[in-house]
Amino acid sequence: MGYAAARGGLTAIRNAEDLVRTLRDMDESEQIELDQFIGRLRLLVDRIMGEAGMWEPRLAALAIRQAEGDHIESVHLLRAYKSTLPRIASTEPIHVDDMRLLRRVVPAFREPGGPQILGRSTDYSARMLDPRSGSGATASLEPEVATHVADNSSSVQTNTPRLMNVLRDMDLLTDRRRTDDPEPFDITRTPARPPAPRSARLSSMARAETGALLNQWYRNILGPDGYLHEVTLGEVRHGELPIRIKHPYTNGSVSIGSLRVTEVEAIEDLNGVDEDRDRFDIGYGLCLGHNERKAIAMANLDIACHRDGSKSSLEQSILLTTDGLDSAGFLEHLKLPHYVTFRSMMERKIAVRNARPSVQKGDKA
Amino acid sequence: MSKIVIPDSVLKVSGLGKIYGPITDGAIERTGSHVGTARDYQTGSIVAAWDVNFEVAAGEALGIVGESGSGKSTVLRCIAGDIDSSAGDVRLATFENGESNLLSLDAATRRKMRIDQVSVVYQDPAEGLALGVTAGGNIADPLTAAGWRNFEGIRARARDLLQRTEVPLDRMDDIVRSFSGGMRQRVQIARALANNPRLVLLDEPTTGLDASVAAGVLDLIRGLLEEFELAAIVVSHDFSVIEMLTERCIVMHHGRVVENALTDQLLEDPHHPYSQKLVSAARA
Amino acid sequence: MTMNAVYNGSNLDSIVGEDPGIPFALLDEESKREIRRALLHAVCVPGYQVPFGSREMPVARGWGSGGLQITLAIVGKTDIVKVIDQGDDEGVNAVNLRRLVVTSTGIEESSEVVESTIIQSRHRIPEDEMINSHTLVLQVPVPEPLRGVERDMRELARMHAEADYSRMWVSLYEDKVRNGVITQTTGYPCLVNGRYVVATTPIPRWDIPRLHDSQFLTLFGAGREKRVYAIPPYTLVEPLTFEDVPFEVEQANGARCRLCSSSESFLVESPGTNGDAGTWTCSDTAWCRARRLK
Repeated sequence: MGYAAARGGLTAIRNAEDLVRTLRDMDESEQIELDQFIGRLRLLVDRIMGEAGMWEPRLAALAIRQAEGDHIESVHLLRAYKSTLPRIASTEPIHVDDMRLLRRVVPAFREPGGPQILGRSTDYSARMLDPRSGSGATASLEPEVATHVADNSSSVQTNTPRLMNVLRDMDLLTDRRRTDDPEPFDITRTPARPPAPRSARLSSMARAETGALLNQWYRNILGPDGYLHEVTLGEVRHGELPIRIKHPYTNGSVSIGSLRVTEVEAIEDLNGVDEDRDRFDIGYGLCLGHNERKAIAMANLDIACHRDGSKSSLEQSILLTTDGLDSAGFLEHLKLPHYVTFRSMMERKIAVRNARPSVQKGDKA
Repeated sequence: MSKIVIPDSVLKVSGLGKIYGPITDGAIERTGSHVGTARDYQTGSIVAAWDVNFEVAAGEALGIVGESGSGKSTVLRCIAGDIDSSAGDVRLATFENGESNLLSLDAATRRKMRIDQVSVVYQDPAEGLALGVTAGGNIADPLTAAGWRNFEGIRARARDLLQRTEVPLDRMDDIVRSFSGGMRQRVQIARALANNPRLVLLDEPTTGLDASVAAGVLDLIRGLLEEFELAAIVVSHDFSVIEMLTERCIVMHHGRVVENALTDQLLEDPHHPYSQKLVSAARA
Repeated sequence: MTMNAVYNGSNLDSIVGEDPGIPFALLDEESKREIRRALLHAVCVPGYQVPFGSREMPVARGWGSGGLQITLAIVGKTDIVKVIDQGDDEGVNAVNLRRLVVTSTGIEESSEVVESTIIQSRHRIPEDEMINSHTLVLQVPVPEPLRGVERDMRELARMHAEADYSRMWVSLYEDKVRNGVITQTTGYPCLVNGRYVVATTPIPRWDIPRLHDSQFLTLFGAGREKRVYAIPPYTLVEPLTFEDVPFEVEQANGARCRLCSSSESFLVESPGTNGDAGTWTCSDTAWCRARRLK
C-alpha cells in the first residue's frame, strides 16, 4: 500500500535501539547472568516482581538486565509481557498462617507469642561501605544459623500466633470481619475508582511503585495536608507461601510452587468521636517479595483510608497516583512532539492580546 | 397555641424530624422542651428536631427562632436537602404540583429543585458561593444550570441582580474572596434570587456581620421579600431579625416547636414559658 | 490464541526462543474481546467514558497505549492502518506505534486516508475526507473534560451522571470575562449527542467541526486513565460556547504552507531565526504531499 517519503523517523528509532543494545551488550565487562541478579540483587528483583504483580524471578532478572537497571522500565517489560498471556487459572485462596517464616519482628510486645526472628536483615548493621562485600571473604555463618538456612522445609514453624489474634482474645480489637466474603476486586480487569472496596485499595498498593507509596505515607505524616496517624507495628513478616490451584480435570488441589511475601499488621489507636475508642484497629499490608518499606506503608495507609471514610482525597491518591507505570509514562510523554497543541496555545495568546483593549472599554465601564 | 389559618400555602411541612444516632422506642418521650434536653440519655442520640409542622403562604416570611442547638437550622437544612431527615413530609406547591415529598427526593432531583424552586442563603457565604469565582460568575452558575446560554444575557441578569442587592457594579468581575463579609452576603443573596425561586431559606443571614452592615443587609432582604413577593423562611436566634423580616414565627426549644404565633403577638404576649424567657432576654 | 507461552516449560524458555509466542495483535483474545465490549458500550452511549481493564502495552502509558489497545482490539487481517502524530506519518511516535501494529498483525500500512480503514492519531484529524468505512482512533492523554473545575472523582462521576455542567459553563464565562476571549486551546470541550461533555483528545479547535455529524466512527482511548469513549457517525457534536460568543478555530492570518501554499489546512509554525519571520507548513504531511503532486 502507498507509503511515502520516510523522513528518517524509523531509521532514527532503529539507530537509537541499536545504540542501547550494542553499548549495553558489548560492554567490556562480563555479561551478568540472570542467576546473579536473583542471587546477588535479591531485593531489586523482589521489588520489581512486586510492582509488576508477577512472580517470576528469572523474567524479572531478564527485564532488569534488558532495562539496564531502570526499575520502572523493568516493571513495564514484565507487565507488557503479561498482557500477551491468557489468564488460565486463579490460585486458591492462601491462608497467610501457612507462611514459612524467614523473618518476624513484633515491635508491640517484648515477648509476643511465637518467635522474634531477625533473619536476613541489615536493620542493625552499621551503614559503612565494605570493600569486601560481594566477595567470598565475608561469608561465614554460625553453625546453628547455617543449619537453619539449609533446612528450608520446616525450620520455622508455621501457625505462629499473630498479634491480631492476641488482641482479639484480649477484646482489644474492634471487630470488622465481614461475613459476605466478596471476591477480591481485580484491578487488572476493572479500573479502581473511588469509592472502591478495600481489596481494590490493597491490590493497588501491593502493585504500587515503592517510592510512591513511601512518599504517600510520609507526605501524610509531614506534608501540609497530612492527617495520617502513625501506627504501632504488630507483625512484620517475611516468608514463603505455598501456591495451589484447583486441577482442571481432577478438581483436586495441586501445589504449583511457592512465592515469598512481606506481610505487615499495623495497630491503630482509635480515638475518633464515632470510633470504638476502647479498642484498636488493624491495618494490613502484603506485597510480593521482601519489601518491608512497602508493606509497612501499605498497612498504615490501609487503616488510614478506612478511618478516613470518604472524607478526604486519600483514597483517590492511593488508587490513582501510586502506580509507577502510570506516573512515569505520563511524565515522560511530555517528551513527545506537542507542536500542534503548542501552535494552538500560541494562537490564543495572540487572541487574548488582541481582545484586551475591548475588555477595558466594554465590560469594566 | 393559637390556630392560624393560612390561605394558599406554598410550603407545607408536616411531622418533620431529624435524629442523630440510633432511633429507639421512647427516644421522643425522653427528649424535648419539657425534658430540657435534645439528647436521649439512654442511647446518646440527639433528637435535633421532631414533629415540626408549619405552612408558609405565598409572599409570606416565616421566622424560626430559638437558641443555638434548638433545631431551627436543622429544620431549614432538611427542607433544603442539605441533610437527610429522619421523618416527615414537605410539599412545595410549585414543585411537581405539590405531589412530591421534598424529603424523599433523590439527590439529582433535589439538585434540580434547588436550581429554580428553593434557594438558600447561608450564614457563611463560603457555603453558598465559590469564593474563587467572580461575583458575576457566581450568578452565572445557577443561570447556566437553568439553561441560560447567552453571554450578554447572563451578564445583564447578573448586573441587574447585583444592582438590586447593592453590590457596586465595578466589583462584578472581581473574585468574591476579595469581598468583605457584608458584600459576600449580598452576592449570596443575588445568587439565591437568580432564577426567581419560589421559596428562599435564610439561615442566620446577618449573624457574624457588623451591626451597621447587618442592618443594611436586613433592609435589603426586607425590600427584596416585598418586591418579589417571596415566600421565605428566616432562621435566627436574634429577635430583631425575626421582628424585621417576618409576620409570623415559630419558636423552637430542644428540637420541638413550642409556640407558633404572629410575630408581633409573640413579642407582646409570649405564651410558652421558654418564649417568655427568650422575649424578655431580647427586650432586656 | 497461543497457550505455548505458558505450557512449554518455563516462561523464560518460551520467550527467548526463535518464536516469542506473541499472539496476533499482541493482546490475548480475552483482552481484545473485553476491549471490544467496552467499545460497543461507548458507541451505544456516545460521549460516555466507559471504564475498561486497560492493559500494559509495549509502549508507555501516556504514549498512545489507549489508542493502541483500541486499534489492536478492532484490527482484522484485511485492515489497512494509517498512524499519525501531530498530523505526521513520520513522527517518531507514529512510526513506533505503526511498527507495533504492523509487526504484530502482518497487515498493510498506508499514509493515504483513502486507502486506510483504521486511522490512529494523536492530536489531529486528517484533512482528507473520511467516510463511513473509516474508523478514527484517537489517543487520549486526559479523558476527563471537567478536571479543570473538579478534582474529586466521585463528584466528577456525579456531574456526568446528572449532566450537571454548570461549573464548566461558569469556567467559560470567567474565561471570557477575564480574557475577552475563550482561551481554551486544544481538546475543546464538546457536548456529544446533547448529553455528555467530552474532552476532544487534544485535537486543535480546527478539527472540532469535523467531529460533528461525521460519516466516520471516532473511538477515543485513554490507556493510563482506563477509559474509552466514542462519537458514532452522524452524531451531534457541539463545542461548548455561548450563543453570542462564536466558537473560533485557530487563525493564521493569511499564512500559507511554504511547501504547498495551502491556507485551508491546519498550519504549524517554524520560528524564524535572528528575528526573521517564521514559516508555515501543513501539519498533515500526507495531505500536503498530495497537494503538491496535483
